[in-house]
Amino acid sequence: MNTGQQTTRRLAARAGRSVCWSCKDTLSRKYASAAAAALPTDDQSLQHIPPVAQPSSQDSYGIKTGVVLSRPPQITRDLHPLESAFFLYQRRLNERTALPFTRYFYYKKRTAADLEWKRKIKQRLTPARDIGRYKGYGEESWNDELLMGAKESDIHHQVEKLIEDAEQTGAQDGDEAEPVPGASNSKKEEEKIERPMPRVTEADLKNDVKSLNRQLQRTLYLLVKNQEGRWIFPQDTFAQETLHSAAGRVLTESCGENMHTWVVGNAPIGYYQQDYQNPIKTLSGLRELGAKTFFMKARIMAGQANLEGNKLGLTDFKWLAKEEVQGEVDKSYWHSVKNMLAER
Amino acid sequence: MALRELPFRTAATLFKDARPAIRAAQPTSCRHASTEPIKEVEDASSFSIPPPSEELAKSFDPIERSKLRRRGKEPLPPSRFQYRPPKYYRGPLHPHQPPPVSDPASRLFVPGPFSLPRLEQTYQSTIASDLLTLTYQHYPPGYRAPKAPQRLREWVGDHPYFKNRPLRPPRGKGDVLRLITPPRTFRNIPKITRVTVHSMVPEAQENSAYLHIAGMVVQAITNVRATPHKARENVVAWGLREGKWVSVTSDLEREDAHHFLSKLIDVVLPKIKEWKGVPASTGDGSGNMSLGLTSDHVALFPEIEVNYDSYPPKMIPGCYITIHTDATNDKDAFLLLQSIGIPFYGKRK
Repeated sequence: MNTGQQTTRRLAARAGRSVCWSCKDTLSRKYASAAAAALPTDDQSLQHIPPVAQPSSQDSYGIKTGVVLSRPPQITRDLHPLESAFFLYQRRLNERTALPFTRYFYYKKRTAADLEWKRKIKQRLTPARDIGRYKGYGEESWNDELLMGAKESDIHHQVEKLIEDAEQTGAQDGDEAEPVPGASNSKKEEEKIERPMPRVTEADLKNDVKSLNRQLQRTLYLLVKNQEGRWIFPQDTFAQETLHSAAGRVLTESCGENMHTWVVGNAPIGYYQQDYQNPIKTLSGLRELGAKTFFMKARIMAGQANLEGNKLGLTDFKWLAKEEVQGEVDKSYWHSVKNMLAER
Repeated sequence: MALRELPFRTAATLFKDARPAIRAAQPTSCRHASTEPIKEVEDASSFSIPPPSEELAKSFDPIERSKLRRRGKEPLPPSRFQYRPPKYYRGPLHPHQPPPVSDPASRLFVPGPFSLPRLEQTYQSTIASDLLTLTYQHYPPGYRAPKAPQRLREWVGDHPYFKNRPLRPPRGKGDVLRLITPPRTFRNIPKITRVTVHSMVPEAQENSAYLHIAGMVVQAITNVRATPHKARENVVAWGLREGKWVSVTSDLEREDAHHFLSKLIDVVLPKIKEWKGVPASTGDGSGNMSLGLTSDHVALFPEIEVNYDSYPPKMIPGCYITIHTDATNDKDAFLLLQSIGIPFYGKRK
């Protein structure tokens, strides 16, 4: 390809979209084939390119190991109102479209359970216990939409209904004819159903950021306060060891032995580069321009952090969710750390 | 074509640099199609209207309204207001087309999902990122992967039929083409795609009650309609005769699969007495793993326990559970299943 043709092609490309695709394709293919002919064929030597060219043999960076210790979410997340409304809508649709409940497979005729079933189905009209009063079969099955202010799609309401259904026998106050009143009372006391634990804990209410029982729906990260008063992930200089073992060492040296942790994998999940204002001369005669901290991922299984007698000079710790971490750490630190942290 | 237009194009390119000056003279506030004209057409948004009052909402009864509307009138036959999709698909040119499957009016509509399974949430929030960290393989910048050798054979010869013909599989019987494992990225973290529950009851050849009960059991524990299968060929050792109904399967996907697995892992497997776990040698080499449960184990499912007496004694079948993942090898699938909590024992293959 000579120079004139190349100029034509470049001009045509710069002129915008007016060159049709096939023409452009032909032009570039011509160019590509010429280029391919000119290039040497790729061989084994091309496959291992030295990763980064060092600017100067005298410049270096200090290496540190950081640990992103996290507690994964303990409970499911709260559903968005739209999600819970959608799920209720689908359940009611299911009541309309599914085959009817096979009653006699589950309740034998003329048993106490069968009587209870009859009473309850009269009250709630449907076998499902958590979709509210709705009948999927019959003339009025079209009426499956919730009215304004209805509570049926709320998860707490559904849980209450399920527990109520399990506790009660469906007998009204008026028709307590057949059993002895005292006996029914004792039965009711027996069948006291255990309530689910609250999703908001005491630590949430007190805003106790040192507790691992806070924010059960979120991933919590351990932040520590170093000697300079800055909040960071626990970190230490990297000695002659692997990153994995260094992470374990940093955890025990900073937060004590009283933690059961698991360092996930052997590769770091991110790094933070800190540039010094004035380069430092190291003992080996290198100019240290800054420090790079490589973060290892770790999960806490049991125990709690304890900073008493730590070797890294840490003064305080916090268990924080992602947004709270942003509020505590420096802007540049946050910029290099934020993509390692899980959204939830 | 580009060459023919060249004089004009060249001129346009040369004058391109002059244009921004003219553009700068334009007013800075640009007028979007969506902002100004809509205000001219309609000055009030429907979102700004307050919702109806409490009393009005309380007194609203859709059933009463519909009764009021129909009072004193002859009720319409259902054919006048009820849409029924065609029973058979008669091709794309037929005037009467069935609605899409997602439409509740469709005959093929299946409602769902009904919940957001806990296992799926755990996978999204915890397991997936851990798997990515565990299986990460670092390549230095500028690394180019060595070219993989062609595993398929070419058609060699002058025959015109060989042109553009798909490549031939490897020679020999034993050589199987394994799946290629691509480099791990955040896009291809292994996940559970589906679960198959399979129960074979050879006794069903003599007494069909076995098959019915197997179907009921599989359906009860999986929440999916069971599909019966015939024996494909005679197998004397297993007492199979060709063409007889012998087994049921059900295929679980998405929500059903997640609910089934969490039920299995959290309720059923911990209750099994003196069970070593799933042998780690399981797996078909392409990321699918199976485990077997005996009839005693199947009876531990909460859906069976709740009305255990309704099933005839000694007719509850055992079953095989195959967990399909989109991992391309057994190692990754093993890691995934371990992380969701399936206990393995022994050595991997």
